[in-house]
Amino acid sequence: MPIIETRDLRKVFRTLVRRPGVAGTIRTLFSRDYEDKVAVEGVSMALEEGELVGYIGPNGAGKSTTIKMLTGILVPSSGLVRVAGLVPYEKRKENARNIGVVFGQRSQLYWDLPLVESFELLRAIYGIPEKRYRANLDHFIDVLAMGEFLKTPVRQLSLGQRMRGDFAAAMLHDPRVVFLDEPTIGLDVVAKEAIREFVAQVNRERGTTFILTTHDLADVERLCRRIVLIDHGTLVYDGEVEALRDRYGTHRTLVVHLAEDAPDFHVEGAELEAREGDIVRLRFDRRTISAEALIRRVADRYGVTDLSIEEPELESIIRRIYTEGYDAAPTVAPV
Amino acid sequence: MAVLPRARRSAGEILAPYVAFAAKAFSREATYRMEVFTNVGSLLVRLYLMKAVWTALYAQNAAPAGVSLHMVLTYTTIALLMSLVLEIDGTRAIRDKIREGTIATDLMKPISLPLYFFSDGIGMTLLHATLIIPALVMSLFIVRIDVPSPAVLAAFALSFVLGYLVNFTLNFLMNCVAFWTLESFAAQLMVRWISDLLGGQIVPLIFFPGVLQQIVLALPFAAVYSTPLLIYVGTIPPSGYALALAVQLGWFVVFSAIGIVVWRAAQRRVVVQGG
Repeated sequence: MPIIETRDLRKVFRTLVRRPGVAGTIRTLFSRDYEDKVAVEGVSMALEEGELVGYIGPNGAGKSTTIKMLTGILVPSSGLVRVAGLVPYEKRKENARNIGVVFGQRSQLYWDLPLVESFELLRAIYGIPEKRYRANLDHFIDVLAMGEFLKTPVRQLSLGQRMRGDFAAAMLHDPRVVFLDEPTIGLDVVAKEAIREFVAQVNRERGTTFILTTHDLADVERLCRRIVLIDHGTLVYDGEVEALRDRYGTHRTLVVHLAEDAPDFHVEGAELEAREGDIVRLRFDRRTISAEALIRRVADRYGVTDLSIEEPELESIIRRIYTEGYDAAPTVAPV
Repeated sequence: MAVLPRARRSAGEILAPYVAFAAKAFSREATYRMEVFTNVGSLLVRLYLMKAVWTALYAQNAAPAGVSLHMVLTYTTIALLMSLVLEIDGTRAIRDKIREGTIATDLMKPISLPLYFFSDGIGMTLLHATLIIPALVMSLFIVRIDVPSPAVLAAFALSFVLGYLVNFTLNFLMNCVAFWTLESFAAQLMVRWISDLLGGQIVPLIFFPGVLQQIVLALPFAAVYSTPLLIYVGTIPPSGYALALAVQLGWFVVFSAIGIVVWRAAQRRVVVQGG
């Protein structure tokens, strides 16, 4: 049985239509026109226990709405949702015992209290047995190097320290599922890596299931084998990161810095992806033309000051899917 | 994998988080020492002004028969001391939490939020309650008040506790309005003024004329300040205690029931900001 399951999950928000201007504001006060906004449209997915899945989509795609339904704080308009065998919105409190949450943009630690007191409070909230609490806390203090700032009030912590505290707070009660929402946002490279390593380790050692929502696709590349892509509330892709990369991996981009102005720039075998002043980006399929051949063609016709080749990063793959849709991308360029 | 059987939790374990919330609120409140002292200062200023106003009114013979200036001043002083804890609104956080969206993270915890607000409020209340004695002592420099018999004091204390509970449920309901409309501040302020006036905090309700007095005494607001105060000053005689306390309890039960219904509806309506 999957630990997380949704079927035809749908959420529609009813929002008040506001009219512009003073007259509009007054009319809004008296007439209530509502508009239905579909945030999530028929999302079905199943996650097995111990998976670490990247849940990706552009802003407003419906990621947070899905997560809120999985945590039980939002009631779906229709469809089925089950987390660890429970329907979250029906059993909010029971569900809360099975899940942990980390928000990069919002701390769940108690602002005025020393970090360790937040942990104490969580111990009381979840009723964590003393022995397990000690063992978990000692482990997290060690792995996340929290010893130095354990007694510091949360408001005085740096973002990196606070995030480490938030991770420990989310996992003290041994949740089976942890939702990570932008967990590395605003962190420096070292702190990011520390957090990623921690997640990988917990996933490996404790078999905790993670759903990672992020705009930093380096997080996904580093951590996730599987990726679920959502756009405009619908599922666009659900599968292995590698499969996605293979599908798009045949394309490379040649970046050319032109020495002179060439308004009618054109090279056979490659598609003009973008142009900014004298910098031209050419997309080509390495199965139909080699990089070397393409470079020769360009150099034969135009003056070139610099050249570089870009491998498709997950980010550019995702970007293409956002802008062109999943099925539009993998076309073979004509020679 | 099968669902883990839910461990049965003892009453102590179920209550533990709420005791912890109250303890944290108590120590958190203690860190705002300036505010605590200012509260007492403002109480003394208000008391001085009230004394001046009532004395002037009595000099003009504006008071109804049977209510002495001394009794009014006793009433006013006790009312102000009560306000030290009754003006604390632990549920005000509902509004802030909805506005900031942090209510979402709270709802992701295995706790009852209404009980969280209640225990948080209790923690704050207990800290502010420690001010009552020093505030009373300082008040005695401004006014002289009556101290009734221990039996009356006991009835007053019980009535005060019931008033506190009614006050909590009223505040809770008011703040829950924020679930439906995020801008409820003006409405709240209005209700607060009305409830202060109709609750007998500023003017004893027995000063209201005829039918109006019957009406305001029957309103739930009277259960917060007026009932305990009228017990204290003796307007409600011992023979009337049972009824007075029962009415308070009744309001508490009614508002708790409404509160539970409203909370259920509110939870279903949670629309978190952003996302």
